[in-house]
Formats: sequence, structure tokens, C-alpha cells
Amino acid sequence: MGVCITGIGVVSAIGMSVEENLNALCEGRTGIEPLRYLQGTKASLAGEVKASNDDLRKALNVGTEYVSRTSLLGLQAAREAWGDNKRSGVIRTGIISATSVGGMDRSEVFYKDYLAQNNPDYKLLTTHDSGSTTERIAKELGITGYINTLSTACSSGVNAIMLGARLILQGTLDRVLVGGSDALSGFTIDGFRSLMIYDDQWCRPFDESRAGLNLGEGAGFLLLEGEKSLELTGNTPICNVSGWANAADAYHQTASSPDGKGATLAIENAIRRAGIGLNQISYVNAHGTGTKNNDHSESVALQNVFGDRIPPFSSTKAFTGHTLAAAGAIEAVFSVLAIQNNLIFPNLNYNMPIVGTGLVPATQLGTDLEVNAVLSNSFGFGGNNSSLVLTKYE
Amino acid sequence: MNKPALYLSASSTISHQPTFGNPGFSAALGPVETSSVLISPDYKAYIDAGLLRRMSKILRMSVACAKDCIARAGIEQPDAIVVGTGLGCLQDTEKFLNTSLTVEGLLPPTSFIQSTHNTMAGQISLSIGNHGYNMTHTQNTLSFEHALFDASMLLREGDRHVLVGAADEHIDMLEDIAARLEFKAAAPLTSGASFFVLSSENGGNANAELTDIYTVGGTENRQEEIDAFLDRNGLQAGDIDLALYAGAPVQGAVRNLDYLSLIGVYPTASAFALHYAVDVLGANRDVRNVLICNALRKSNLGLTLLKAVEA
Repeated sequence: MGVCITGIGVVSAIGMSVEENLNALCEGRTGIEPLRYLQGTKASLAGEVKASNDDLRKALNVGTEYVSRTSLLGLQAAREAWGDNKRSGVIRTGIISATSVGGMDRSEVFYKDYLAQNNPDYKLLTTHDSGSTTERIAKELGITGYINTLSTACSSGVNAIMLGARLILQGTLDRVLVGGSDALSGFTIDGFRSLMIYDDQWCRPFDESRAGLNLGEGAGFLLLEGEKSLELTGNTPICNVSGWANAADAYHQTASSPDGKGATLAIENAIRRAGIGLNQISYVNAHGTGTKNNDHSESVALQNVFGDRIPPFSSTKAFTGHTLAAAGAIEAVFSVLAIQNNLIFPNLNYNMPIVGTGLVPATQLGTDLEVNAVLSNSFGFGGNNSSLVLTKYE
Repeated sequence: MNKPALYLSASSTISHQPTFGNPGFSAALGPVETSSVLISPDYKAYIDAGLLRRMSKILRMSVACAKDCIARAGIEQPDAIVVGTGLGCLQDTEKFLNTSLTVEGLLPPTSFIQSTHNTMAGQISLSIGNHGYNMTHTQNTLSFEHALFDASMLLREGDRHVLVGAADEHIDMLEDIAARLEFKAAAPLTSGASFFVLSSENGGNANAELTDIYTVGGTENRQEEIDAFLDRNGLQAGDIDLALYAGAPVQGAVRNLDYLSLIGVYPTASAFALHYAVDVLGANRDVRNVLICNALRKSNLGLTLLKAVEA
């Protein structure tokens, strides 16, 4: 039976729920637009969640103002994934979230006043540390016990799912809510701009003319259950988490290796762990950020693994923007949707294959293929490469 | 699940105390002074000079400890690298935050690149050319325990040697923040990094066995949790020869020692406690069982149980 997914939740620039996200993916409607809520940044376009902090607090019934947007987005997705499940004294339940900047959206408000000596509110810093964003989500959901946060930059979300699956298989937990959350911040926008990989135009994953990424924000959560938990909850499994792997590229702190070493290892090991053949992967949800470096390196890795028989693939980042630590979790939810509905999502803004690799992503919504197994990739700073294989529940 | 023995084959700590390259340090260690500073080794012996120049305190400490540990363990490469950090790369985070709010135009990216929590684990993999599992846990005061738990899972999954450690760095701003938030620290705020090689076999160099590790967040029943943990391991409080604690002493243990008084306060100070425990177990044959009880933050409890290696 392995590790089953029984609940999913997502919030991103293309919607506040699984249903809204699925509709936008099917309609080919991007959520990347000029910023409406986060003021004073240099980004012309970003994948902002279409709700203010006040809207989110009200909808989620969170009283305090001392809560980061990262926690609010995480809570929104975690509640949807958790659904009507009940707390239990018998089912050992945990939560693992992933975030890259934690409460930076609040910390930078503090720091601006601090520099200007304009009566800074020190209490805003109580939401800074990444662990506190998860503790807040756990508290709102009433989860105690195993509460953990991973932070491996842009691969964090996949790593949270991987860790959750391992904890169930080792018998430490019976069920675990896993996911990731990151809010947009001036800090990360300036950061990617300083690296000169923030595109002022719409990002164009896997296109020869690609010139960088658009940041996004959001959260994705999945409820994982093992056999014992399923017997007690009676939940219906949607998919299995079948394969996973993490590998270090060990090439450069931020750039991916030209030979795609770390990515190749992650993809190969995840498929091997799933125990299926290469030809059984129906769809690849690529990391595909739209940077020159990532998309080239990822293309090489796909060729290393699949040769000239690369499954249909696409990046959904032109819908959501790059949501950093949330990306792997959001895209895992999209991968579940691909399996549930036999869909292959289009890679928006694609025009010309990358010279040298020549790979052509899926550009139209695919509805005529059976989708039984999806490979989802997430690669991060520090050469942190992770891949996940989700399969149809049998 | 049957839990095979796990061995601590090497330990290394850089701190405000003479812990680095100094086996037996636990015998003579006094309280950490408020005026103390980080005792840095000659980093050039561990890190290429060009890289070293750009590295913040937390990166230097981590890479040097990691390399020292691997050398002490006598292994070529660990199968995985797992790091815990409570607050991450504060120096670079503050630096980039400052730059982005004060500088117009093109910003230098180095401090942004080095601000992510996994920079330590990434830099270690880069400096030793390691392609294995590479993970960073950040769960407040339990960050190290979560890393150690992950490492022990990896060994049960078949890995032979895992490099596992934790680091946190002090920046001046923390003093101001602690004062404003009325955080009453039990000891001076300090920096520290501790790394270990955790192995599934004893190559003859292990001083201690990791018996069990357990974390609980959002707990209200510290004592019940401790009792249940000891019970699961077939022990009673009186079997604990030494309890290293942050928060409150362990009732009934033969001897209690507040490890924060020795090392100062940082979110992953329990990693130092592990090194201290390994050092004691290596030097003192009368100590058989050591419990590290980390309640630095009251609602979070980390329990780590060690025992002397059977002769």
C-alpha cells in the first residue's frame, strides 16, 4: 500500500483553492501580473496571491497581526488539504512545512523602520524564524508532536514530501501533513534581481529567448497516510508517493552544472525508488524556472535519463511564478491533479526550442493520454536537487 | 521497528570555549563568560583562501567543523550531509536586507546567495565534492534534533556514514532584539557549530552510541514525555548518570548539568551538548547513560539518549 495522498490544498497566483488552480491550468490563464498588494518593490511582474493579509486573516479567522504572510498562505493550503479530518489520540500525526524566507515579509517591514529609527515594532520579529511559520500553522490546526521545517531553497517543498513519506515508512508517524509556503518579499525580489535572473517580461520556461524567472508566492500541502491511518480514517487514497530522491550537484552555490549531474542523480534515483520503468512516466512537471542556466541544465538531465524518449513535459511556473520553497509542494498538487484528471498542463510562453538541447515542451492542455505516473522536479541553491514520483493509486 | 546501534565516530565544535581539536575538553570546562568571543581555528587550514574571504562566520565554522570531522572519522565521503540551524545565516541576511533598503541600482548578490538556510550544507557538499543527500532542518530550538533524527533514519535506510551537525551565529543586533522583546537568556548569547559523523558501524573510533532521539513540539507535559521516553528505552531516571539540560533539570538523574551555562545561548546549543556528552563518555568509564534534555524553548522538547560503547 505504501504512502498514500488523501488530501490536497493549494493557494497561488492562479487561485485560492485546488478547484480555482485547476480551472486556471485548464484555461491556460496565468496569474503573473503587476503587483497589487506588495508595495515598493522593483518587480514589474510577479505571481502574487490575489488577497491582502487582512483578507487572509479574516478568511482564516486568525486574530493576531503578528503572523507572517508565509504562515497565512501555508494555513490556507494546509486547511484545505486537512479537510474534515479529525485529531486523534491513536493516529500519530505530524506536520512538515518548507519555507525559504519564513517571516521575511514581516521582518523587512520592521527593518525599514529600524533603519529609519521610525519606532520599529520589534514584535514583528517573533514571526521571522522559519520554524515559527510552521509552529503557527500547527497550532491553528491543533497538531502537536512531530513539527518540522525544511529549508533548502527552491527544492524545499519536494524535500518535505520526501521526509514525510520516509517517516511513515519507518513507522515514526501514521499520517503527516507535508508542504511548503513562501510569501513574496522585497528581499527575494531584490535578491533575484541582484543575480540578474529576474525577467521584467513574462517568464518563458524552456524557450530559447528565456531571460529569467518571475517570482511568485503561495503554498501547497498534501495529507500523507500510511496503512494504519487509512484503516482508522477510512479516507480514499488519491495517489501514491512512490519515488523520491535528493542529490547534491556540488558544482556552484547558485548555478546548476552544465552536465546536470545533481539533477540526473535525483531523477534516476527517484524513478528507481518508485520501481517503475522509464517508459512508465506519463508526464514530467519540470522545475523550468525560465532562467538560462536552470532550463538548460534540466534539459540535459532529462536527456541523460530518458535519452531521446523524453515523456511529455512542461513547467507550470509561467502560471504561478517561481514560488521558491512552495514550488515543489504546489507542483506536487498539480501532479496529483494531472493524474486524477488525466491531464498534461501546457507550458505557457514557449516559442522556440533551446539551441543545443532542442526539447519541445507540451504547449497545449493534453486530455487524450492516460496519466499514471508523474515525475516532478525541484532544484535549488546550494546545488540541492530533488525529484518526486507520484503514481495513480492501485 | 528494530533499531540497530548507531555510533558517533567523530565530533567537532567551534564555540566560545576551547572545544575545537581538544578531546577531553569537558573535564576542565567552566562557565562561558559574558565577555567571551568565538575561538576560531586557523580557517586557512580548512578552507581555500579565496572562498574564505567571502564566507560569514556561520559558514566558516560549519565548513571547518565538517572537514575536521570527516578527517577524524577517517572516511573519504559521508553518504549524506544533514544540517540543523535555528536562525540560519543571520550575518548575510542582515547585510542583504540592509543593502536592498539603502542602495539604489545594482546590488552585489553575494550576501543574498549566502543568506539561504542551506548555504552551510551546500558549501560543505561543494568543498568536499559530495553528491549525496543534502538536507537542512530549521525548527527553532529543535533544529539540531530534527537533523540528527533524519541522519539516524538514513542509517536505518542503509547509509553507512552521515555527516550531521548544526550551527547558529550571533550578530550584534540580537542583543538589542533580545532586550526589546524581554527575552531573558539563561546565559550570554553566543555563536557555535558542532558536527558529527554518525555511523552504522564502529570503526574502532566511536566514544558513544546514539540510543534514541525524540522531538515534540507544542508540548505541555514535559515530565510525562521524559518518563515515557526513558520507559521506551527500558530505563528509569536513576539510570541516567548525567543529564545535560536546557530549561529545567531532569528529576531523579544522578547528576544534572545546565549546558547553556557552558556554551551560551543559541538555538542549536544542544548540538554542543551532544559533543560534550560524547567527550564525557570517552573519558569517564563511570558514566554509562547520558540524556540531553533540550527545553530551551518551553513548548519544544528534544530528548537525546546516549550510552557508552560496549567494550
